Amino acid sequence: MKRMAFPAHQRHEALVGYLFIAPYLVLFVLFVLVPVVWGFFISLHNWHVLGEQKPFVGFANYRALLRDDLFGIALLNTGYFALLTVVPGNVVSLLLALGLNARIRGEDVYKAIFYLPVILSVAVVAIIWRWMYSTEFGLLNYYLKVLWQFLHLPGEFQPVPWLNSPQTAMPSLALMSIWWGAGGSMLIYLAGLRAIPEEYYEAARIDGASTWGRFWHITLPLLKPSLLFCLVMSLIGSSQVFGQSYILTGGGPHYSTLTVVLYMYQTGFSLYRMGYACAVAYVMFLIVLGFTLLQFRLLSARGEE
Amino acid sequence: MKGSLLHPYKEGKSTVAAGFSLRTMALLALFCVASLWLAGCSSSEHSSNAVGTEIRFWNGFTGPDGATMERIVKQFERETGIRVKMQIIPWGTYYDKLVLSLAYGGAPDVFICHANRIAEFARYGVFRPLDDLIDADKGFPVQDFLPNIWQAGRYEGRQVGLPLDCHPQGLYYNRKLFREAGIVDTQGNPKPPETWEEFLEAARRLTRDKDGDGRPDQWGFAFTWLRTNWITFISQHGGSILSPDLKRAALAEPPAVRATQQMCDLIYKYRVAPKPEGFDSWMGFRQGRVAMAIEGIYMLSSVEEQKGLEYAGAPVPSFDVHRAVWGGSHMLCMPKDLPPERVQLVWRFMRYLSDHSLDWAEGGQIPVRRSLLKQPRFRQMRVQYQFAKQLPYVVFEPASYKSTEIMPFYDAAIEAALLGIKTPQDALNEAARRIQQVLDRP
Repeated sequence: MKRMAFPAHQRHEALVGYLFIAPYLVLFVLFVLVPVVWGFFISLHNWHVLGEQKPFVGFANYRALLRDDLFGIALLNTGYFALLTVVPGNVVSLLLALGLNARIRGEDVYKAIFYLPVILSVAVVAIIWRWMYSTEFGLLNYYLKVLWQFLHLPGEFQPVPWLNSPQTAMPSLALMSIWWGAGGSMLIYLAGLRAIPEEYYEAARIDGASTWGRFWHITLPLLKPSLLFCLVMSLIGSSQVFGQSYILTGGGPHYSTLTVVLYMYQTGFSLYRMGYACAVAYVMFLIVLGFTLLQFRLLSARGEE
Repeated sequence: MKGSLLHPYKEGKSTVAAGFSLRTMALLALFCVASLWLAGCSSSEHSSNAVGTEIRFWNGFTGPDGATMERIVKQFERETGIRVKMQIIPWGTYYDKLVLSLAYGGAPDVFICHANRIAEFARYGVFRPLDDLIDADKGFPVQDFLPNIWQAGRYEGRQVGLPLDCHPQGLYYNRKLFREAGIVDTQGNPKPPETWEEFLEAARRLTRDKDGDGRPDQWGFAFTWLRTNWITFISQHGGSILSPDLKRAALAEPPAVRATQQMCDLIYKYRVAPKPEGFDSWMGFRQGRVAMAIEGIYMLSSVEEQKGLEYAGAPVPSFDVHRAVWGGSHMLCMPKDLPPERVQLVWRFMRYLSDHSLDWAEGGQIPVRRSLLKQPRFRQMRVQYQFAKQLPYVVFEPASYKSTEIMPFYDAAIEAALLGIKTPQDALNEAARRIQQVLDRP
């Protein structure tokens, strides 16, 4: 094997480069790479935090996972959450971006207002929305009641048990999450919209294309990179949903908001079964990896067009 | 669940700032690093702290009980000259912290463990057994302790926890509403129900639709903490969560199903209790919209601060043939690796707390020593005294080391039954199946 000999100044440059990435590299190795490998090691053991013995069990934790119907429920719930948030959330973001792109007065103010929720942590968001969703004292039910009476609808208004019924709990979490995250994608869409040359629209207008036609044939195709990016990123984000159900519903009522990451958390940090929790984490990791690969494929497919 | 079904007792858990989901992964990752790291330095942890005569004491008494404990600890320091460094950690995160400290070092010299978690911790050998200390301490009145609660501090023939108190549930009732409904004795004093018939009759008369909209705005009864309310009901019917040998799930058997049905009937058949869906029952009781509730003695301070509420406490009525009521207990425990030279010091402190558990009762707990229960001072604590009558038949969660692990399953079952998602039998069958899986796992 013959080593490439770099001239001195190039070696120096390489060294500077390594120095620049060194802090990140150290942190990455220490807090990501090592734990990732160590986590896999733990997942092969019956690893109770307090156990003196932590016996090696091979892939038993993974096999147990296949038979664990709660894990199945958690997977389905996570998928349901993704279904409720990914497309509707992106539609909302896109609509907001289209509205802002119309170059209205006070655009920056609106931008700030729509983006504001994004900077909040999930804990803050959840605590705010807990008040909104409260069945008896909540703002949402209050306004619904006002609306009900205003429209003279028949009968007495029945408050919606937003977080307390298995039917409404997950949609409520989804609604909150859309409000929380819409601003982020909105900015990306807005940037994408602004990058579309005005001439295309002018040409279309001359050809007599309708508003809808312009949107469908110009805006949407040219927005594809942003669309793909936002869709796949929100899919990955949704698949890791945790804080919402952890804080607002604890996975209930009757497992209706139990998600995969919440299940992992409960197994690891409430029951101290770290081996099993790591197995859940690894399966989760594989699923997210799948989506990430999908993202790469979809994005590069566009490049080949 | 967090709205009304979750108990305030647990609320700490829910308000912990939880970050973005990715942070959970990071947390798990961090745990992995920490476990590597701390494994190396756990052995040296205690020696650094062994200076002088300082006792490190951990508990989760964040409420008024914390202030009471602080007073007792101060008094101990004054009397003995021993310093106590007390750390109060909200119950929601208390056990997380405790477990990590026990596993990787930094554990306190003495800590509180709830009765229902004794078996779990004892099984992993984290406690220093207290038997030799009790034997050596001449005059330590083992016989003074109520036997069933003393027993709850034992695991496999060893005493691992010294019971500090017991906190059973009892019946809180609204005296004003009782008088209005005419549920009074011959002297005109509100009369709390004692039997199922009396309870149901009272609940019926106390459920009122004042504005005529077809929906009651005053309820006779409301379920508060579903899990513990349920344990009280099933125990009274002679049912239990696990079989006596702790190897089999018993909660789908007829007594437990009957009890669950009885609870559902209060909501759907007799219509004297609201569906526990979006109804903040305890708030309802405080505001006088609920006439009766079964809650723990530790909720006392929260009704005490409610202005204008005429409340009183009574033992829980008998709903069936057995006398039983759910309770919890705070046990004082020592970690296994406590250095021998500190053991006596810590024992002295534990004993002091037990001897002064009448002071402790003022924070809303009940002493578990007969001599203290008989004192006039205790009789004057109105609600505590009423609730204490139930101590001989208090029921704890099963003493299985898998107790914590099976809890979520029956939690979900009761929730499903009371919300009408499933029939009691179906809900309990499902829970029993899941619990059996956990029990069968090595």
